Amino acid sequence: MGGLQKKKYERGSVTNYITRNKARKKLRLSLPDFRRLCILKGIYPHEPKHKKKVNKGSTAPRTFYLIKDIRFLLHEPIVGKFRDYKVFVRKLKKAYGKTEWSAVERLRENKPTYKLDHIIKERYPSFIDALRDIDDALCMCFLFSTFARTGKCHVQTIQLCRRLTVEWMNYVVAARALRKVFISIKGIYYQAEVMGQLITWLVPYQFSHDHPTDVDYRVMATFTELYTTLLGFINFRLYHSLNLLYPPKKLSALSASLARMVSSAEEEEAQLDQFPVEGEDMEKLEAREREQKEQEAQKKLFDGLKFFLNREVPRESLAFVIRCFGGEVSWDKSVCIGSTYEVTEETITHHIVDRPNASTQYINRYYIQPQWVYDCINAKIVLPVEDYFLGVTLPPHLSPFVEEKEGDYMPPEKVKIMALQRGEKPEQEDEEEEDEDEDEEEEEDDNDDEEEDEEEDEEESEEKNLKKMEKQRSQGKSLQVKVTPGKMKVENPERLEQEEKAEEKRLAIMMMKKKEKYLYDKIMFGKKRKIREANKLTAKRKAHDDAEKANKKKTRK
Amino acid sequence: MAAARRLKRVVASQPGFLNFKSSSESLSGRRKRVNKNKKKSWNKHSDINDVEEFLEDVRLQERTTGGLLAEKSDDSLFFLDVGQPKRAERKAEPIEGKKRKGKTPRPLRIDLILQQDSLIPAPKDVLAYQQPNAKKLRRISQKAEQLAAKGVVTRRQKRLLSRRPVTKEAKKSDTEANNNPNRDYYDIWGQEQSTVKDSAEDWYLQQTGKKRVKRPEKLSDRPSVLPAVEVIAPGGSYNPDFFSHQALLKEAHEVEVKKQKEEDKLERQLAVNKDDTATEETVIREQVEGLVEEEEEEEEDEEEAAHDEEDEDAEGGSSLAKKKTERQRKREKADKIKELRRLDSKRQMDHRQQLFQLRSIKASIKQQEQSTEDKQKIRKANQEAEKSQPRRLGKLKFQAQDLEVQLSDELAGSLRQLKPEGSVLKDRFKSLQKRNLIEPRERAKFKRRHKLKYVEKRAFRAIT
Repeated sequence: MGGLQKKKYERGSVTNYITRNKARKKLRLSLPDFRRLCILKGIYPHEPKHKKKVNKGSTAPRTFYLIKDIRFLLHEPIVGKFRDYKVFVRKLKKAYGKTEWSAVERLRENKPTYKLDHIIKERYPSFIDALRDIDDALCMCFLFSTFARTGKCHVQTIQLCRRLTVEWMNYVVAARALRKVFISIKGIYYQAEVMGQLITWLVPYQFSHDHPTDVDYRVMATFTELYTTLLGFINFRLYHSLNLLYPPKKLSALSASLARMVSSAEEEEAQLDQFPVEGEDMEKLEAREREQKEQEAQKKLFDGLKFFLNREVPRESLAFVIRCFGGEVSWDKSVCIGSTYEVTEETITHHIVDRPNASTQYINRYYIQPQWVYDCINAKIVLPVEDYFLGVTLPPHLSPFVEEKEGDYMPPEKVKIMALQRGEKPEQEDEEEEDEDEDEEEEEDDNDDEEEDEEEDEEESEEKNLKKMEKQRSQGKSLQVKVTPGKMKVENPERLEQEEKAEEKRLAIMMMKKKEKYLYDKIMFGKKRKIREANKLTAKRKAHDDAEKANKKKTRK
Repeated sequence: MAAARRLKRVVASQPGFLNFKSSSESLSGRRKRVNKNKKKSWNKHSDINDVEEFLEDVRLQERTTGGLLAEKSDDSLFFLDVGQPKRAERKAEPIEGKKRKGKTPRPLRIDLILQQDSLIPAPKDVLAYQQPNAKKLRRISQKAEQLAAKGVVTRRQKRLLSRRPVTKEAKKSDTEANNNPNRDYYDIWGQEQSTVKDSAEDWYLQQTGKKRVKRPEKLSDRPSVLPAVEVIAPGGSYNPDFFSHQALLKEAHEVEVKKQKEEDKLERQLAVNKDDTATEETVIREQVEGLVEEEEEEEEDEEEAAHDEEDEDAEGGSSLAKKKTERQRKREKADKIKELRRLDSKRQMDHRQQLFQLRSIKASIKQQEQSTEDKQKIRKANQEAEKSQPRRLGKLKFQAQDLEVQLSDELAGSLRQLKPEGSVLKDRFKSLQKRNLIEPRERAKFKRRHKLKYVEKRAFRAIT
């Protein structure tokens, strides 16, 4: 054979990938430094489509990076800083070993540091890009701010995270951007809308901390390093968009010193002009208007209400959430600094307690459990307070992140809330119904056995009747059915319309071709199945409720 | 000898000691003449016990009562007992006692024990107040006061005041560090630098090697389509709705069932049938195989051997090939040509007949196309599903974390009694792995370079 012979694994996808160790050697960095660099620069390993080819015939599991990415890394100035740090560590060790303490001091003072600003600018060239990635950053910062200040990770990092999270929360309060809250067993989920972006983040509970051993703290610390820088810049920009000073002063406890800043911000927010976008229908405009009005109304949910938090409720979360919607909140002086008014204040409208019974009762305030606040926010209206009094079994806390479609099962609580939102007042009716139901059930309980017997009897009697009629027919006797004069039925015009529509529908179905009918049947089957399942679930729920009521009665008796 | 004598004498002088000789005899008997001129001798032989007793008594009195009892007045030592005090006086005391109890608790016993209970104050420690150059310092301070009163500022003072104050700067490394809690931020996206860059500036930067390298566009793609924060199902609420909680429990249950099934499968595969275990019979039979009943086996072997040989002969016969003759070659050629012609005609026939098979051919083509389309759809769906799966990057596979769910009896009725489930730190770590940002990692095990040597202590070696 003539011509140049092609060697294997010299062209194609192999040339695009490089293994982790080779990349590390190319950069002349140690493995932890390499990992840190990749995390900071946003360079992730890739899984090639044809592993065997890229791995030169073997199927051993290896980590692959794109060669272009690694070549890009070579131009990064931070790599030099990493190498400087390595040299610094070596010199420091020597000085310690020789017990040259002056040298140690000198070296410590000139410790090499690096900044990540240029990386942020490179990774997120515009502000909106940065906002899209802020979810992760927020979660990390909130997580680190709840760490205990032991020596496990730098105390300064924890302090910085705490400062940034408090600044963020203040911004959300000032911009009234919070939309949804969900208390789960993991932590508290918040969702806010900032500059058109929906941002979801998770805040862990303050009191749970078992540090799992299989988490790599160095990796998490590197991510946090990057995210604290990012969050700081974003905060700066957001504060400037609201014309607030950055960094804000005196933010240790989300105190009411923000009130001044908030009011100034509100004055500056002018009313939104209505720009009719070309090509939009009137309907869409109206829909948007309605949405905006709803949002405006939602932002002032707790306007004018004064809250007081008892010692055992989660103070930070509630304070943040209440302030977000315009309410005033305070707590006991001995709990934390920043409380504005005391328990004894007369104008307090709601007092949030989590104990089974309150100690001293003031007349003109409601004593409620904390779930009321969260449920109000999710329902976007001020719910009736009766369900949340002390000692009452709370209604379930529904997740606002679930969007139910038609035909799906909706828990009765949600139905109630939606009815309230529409402005109906079914609560009174419900109460009456409940009373009636209770009475009925009491009677039923007494007559249960008798009813069953009666039902059986009825069925039997029906059968007997039928048989009788048959006999009579067969025997030729005329039935003893009388013809009575017909009664005029008052026809409902609505019912007429509905019936006409149903008729038309039936005709249209009959006129369909076979294929189309087949498809239609399939669709209807799917829909009906959903409805059937939803009905089943409601029936189950009803059975469950009845059982609970029966249990309650038994305990009462 | 002298020491022994001294010891005896000391012992004899103890108050309760009874000699062999009767006391009267020892007293009246000859006394040895002792020389009391030297300190040593009169220290030994003089009895100062009574004086000592007296002095001790005096000291005791002073310690306990603050002076000699003889010198105290009558009133301080005695009082006249006139019966029970009045009620008013009595009431005052318990109230005071209560107040004291409420405000300051009783002092601890150990404190009381450690206190000084002697009424004589301790002597002053003069050395503590002595300063070697107290006079000199006093003179200097007096002079300074006089000068200050006059308003004169000495040269030294002037120089001190004019010196710059020392401002201790914070360490440069601390202030410039990334995690400095008081670090400053600025508007990084603010100044829209002139988008129209001078071409000259561009060229300059490139030539001097200061131009920033462009970031590849592919890096701005997200490695996964999953969202950063996945909200838990509605059954994970702290006070969940009945059905959503049941649904979540069902999911967790299914995961457990799956795990259990796999374990069962493994066990079934590894299970050993009890009948297969070797009994004594089978063991013996195996060992004895081939040894017992040799004659019968030999006959059988011979028969088999005969059969084999015949077969071999037949096979051996075909292996000896004969050369092909001319005739055979010609025949083979003719056969080949015939075969080719037959095939050709058959093909032409097929072509002609296909005209009549058009419909079925169409149908079969349609079916094939349909099947390829279906396969394409399935493959695309699989690809989409894979995008949301975590990729395999590295040695370890991604292990999804357990569902966070609380059982019905663990559910708390109120926020105060809520016990959080799961760790957000772990959740975030797993989420980073799921989104292909980092590769799944395990904690590094501690491997010893050199094996440990265990040596018995000497004590043990003696025993064992």
